[in-house]
Amino acid sequence: MLDALVQGLLLVLQWNAFSLMLVGMGLGFVVGLLPGIGGAATLALMLPFVFKMSPVEAFAFLLGMHSVAATTGDITSILFGVPGEGLSAATVVDGHPMAKNGEAARALGAALMSSLLGALIGAAALAVSIPIVRPLVLTFGSPELFMVTVMGIACITSLSGQGTRAQLKGFAMGFLGLLLATIGQERQSGILRFDFGLTYLWEGLDLIPVLVGIFAIPEIIDLALRGTAIAGNAPAAKLGAGVWEGIKDTFRHFWLVVRCSAVGVFVGILPGAGGGVAQWMAYAHAVQSAKDAKDRARFGGGDVRGVLGPGAANNSKEGGDLIPTIAFGVPGSGAMAILLGAFLIMGLHPGPDMLTKHLAVTYSMVWTLVLANVIAVLICLALLPYLSLVTRIRGGLIIPFLLLLVFVGSYTANRQIADLIVTLAAGALGFLMVRYGWPRAPLVLGFVLGKLAETYLFISMARYGYSWLGQPLVIVLMVLTGVVIVFPYFQERRINAA
Amino acid sequence: MRLSGAALFSGALAAIAAYAVLTALNWPAKAALFPLTMGIPLLVLAVAQAIVDLRDPPLGDRVGRRGLAVFAWMGAFIALVLLGGFPAAVPIFVFLYLKTESGERWWLAIALALAAWGFFHLLFERLLHFPFEPGLIQEWFQ
Repeated sequence: MLDALVQGLLLVLQWNAFSLMLVGMGLGFVVGLLPGIGGAATLALMLPFVFKMSPVEAFAFLLGMHSVAATTGDITSILFGVPGEGLSAATVVDGHPMAKNGEAARALGAALMSSLLGALIGAAALAVSIPIVRPLVLTFGSPELFMVTVMGIACITSLSGQGTRAQLKGFAMGFLGLLLATIGQERQSGILRFDFGLTYLWEGLDLIPVLVGIFAIPEIIDLALRGTAIAGNAPAAKLGAGVWEGIKDTFRHFWLVVRCSAVGVFVGILPGAGGGVAQWMAYAHAVQSAKDAKDRARFGGGDVRGVLGPGAANNSKEGGDLIPTIAFGVPGSGAMAILLGAFLIMGLHPGPDMLTKHLAVTYSMVWTLVLANVIAVLICLALLPYLSLVTRIRGGLIIPFLLLLVFVGSYTANRQIADLIVTLAAGALGFLMVRYGWPRAPLVLGFVLGKLAETYLFISMARYGYSWLGQPLVIVLMVLTGVVIVFPYFQERRINAA
Repeated sequence: MRLSGAALFSGALAAIAAYAVLTALNWPAKAALFPLTMGIPLLVLAVAQAIVDLRDPPLGDRVGRRGLAVFAWMGAFIALVLLGGFPAAVPIFVFLYLKTESGERWWLAIALALAAWGFFHLLFERLLHFPFEPGLIQEWFQ
């Protein structure tokens, strides 16, 4: 195994593979900044270029691109409040307020360093767990996956803010998100739900336009209303000075980063759980880790822990995602399904062969994840003091470019003009939610998880009737869900009593 | 008691939930289960919030001219995309926004519009070969 590990490193360091990884990284860097066309879509667009490459070169190119896109997605999320990748929306919640407070460099430093740690933990998990993960993946059937989505939905309690009114508003938004997820053709009966006679809605609303609209447009309008730069009147000297502070934050909250990375790996391993789940669960965990009610109230207004958690989970998920893809040919996400196509183009068959005959190729993927993330983070850290100066540009100059970023990003996800209208509508909804004090995170969480929850519930009922409710792992997950729901109230009561 | 924007928003949420519930009642049980399970509690919570907002209206909830102007610009961009497609809409939109809304100087508006077009063209058309739909005007000429 150690031989294969070393051989894998040497394969990636070969001139051809390494230079292709750098090309992929360059591409991933740019597309990661744009919403919509991140990760999966770029993998699909680049797939035709790998036909003439060797397997190691192809995976160095594709994984280099994919893993860097996940990292740089955080940059636009923090600087502009525009989710760089649809899945990096959780970083916006605290990252962008930090940029508005003049702490862009600190937020970026924290996001990049936690992303790097997350990526390393994900790669390590991939390296050590392939031989042993089989029982875990096979244990998770549709009932367990349904309970994981319910556990994710239960995180709404942590994302809703404090007090009865905030909690009720949070739950209402969670229900609205779940309701929006029901738009489109119901997969079991074929009934068209809330389609208003539009074929566009048969497939339901896409995640990217909804996310980008809800998070980015209110920030752009806020920028227009303020009539200043993103960082307002924060002193210029303060902007670039926080990079090291952000890096130190990562190590100050080291165990939070490790725990959130573990959440990312776990969700990544589960086939079909979806990458968006990992980020929001990690964010919710970061909120839960607050010491008291006062500490918890800092989240949403620019708390660095709200950047560290999602940043770590976003990148550790990549390693987790690869585990079922390589070991069983079961892709953990849309991007991995496309990567599976690359395996077949290369004449490789995911499964036992990847753990025996092609083990060096498998480890070359681990090393690609490590090297690409280390290089990307080092480059980004060198650029951060300059990147953060973007927050000093006048709003009037930057707004048209942000609007382009939003609408081009929304369009490139599916090439549908109607997505632009959905983005605009979601933007109006997000704007009104911010204006009237309704939290956005629960809506997004409900929307991300709604379709998955319904699908897994139906399969569970069709396959097991009600008997799945008695399965041991389901019961364990139910108890954990109960803990997730009750914990914030318990914490609040304990603090009040003290 | 005052009909504020906040109360109207909560009321709109309640109306959406009521519509969802009433529509779902006509579907078979499998298709209706989720919308009903989500719609009914949303209806209850939104009505409760609307009552709170009517009794105790929050202050200062006007949207403002600038906010509406940004929405109008977004609508204009979508119209430009429909008419001329993305490659044409990008520089035209950047130029028009910078010149008319931001009041920038001619040379700066033109330079930034060209820069936006250059980046867009290089990344999407040259590098990624991303297929953008033509606008209505191009279709008309074809």
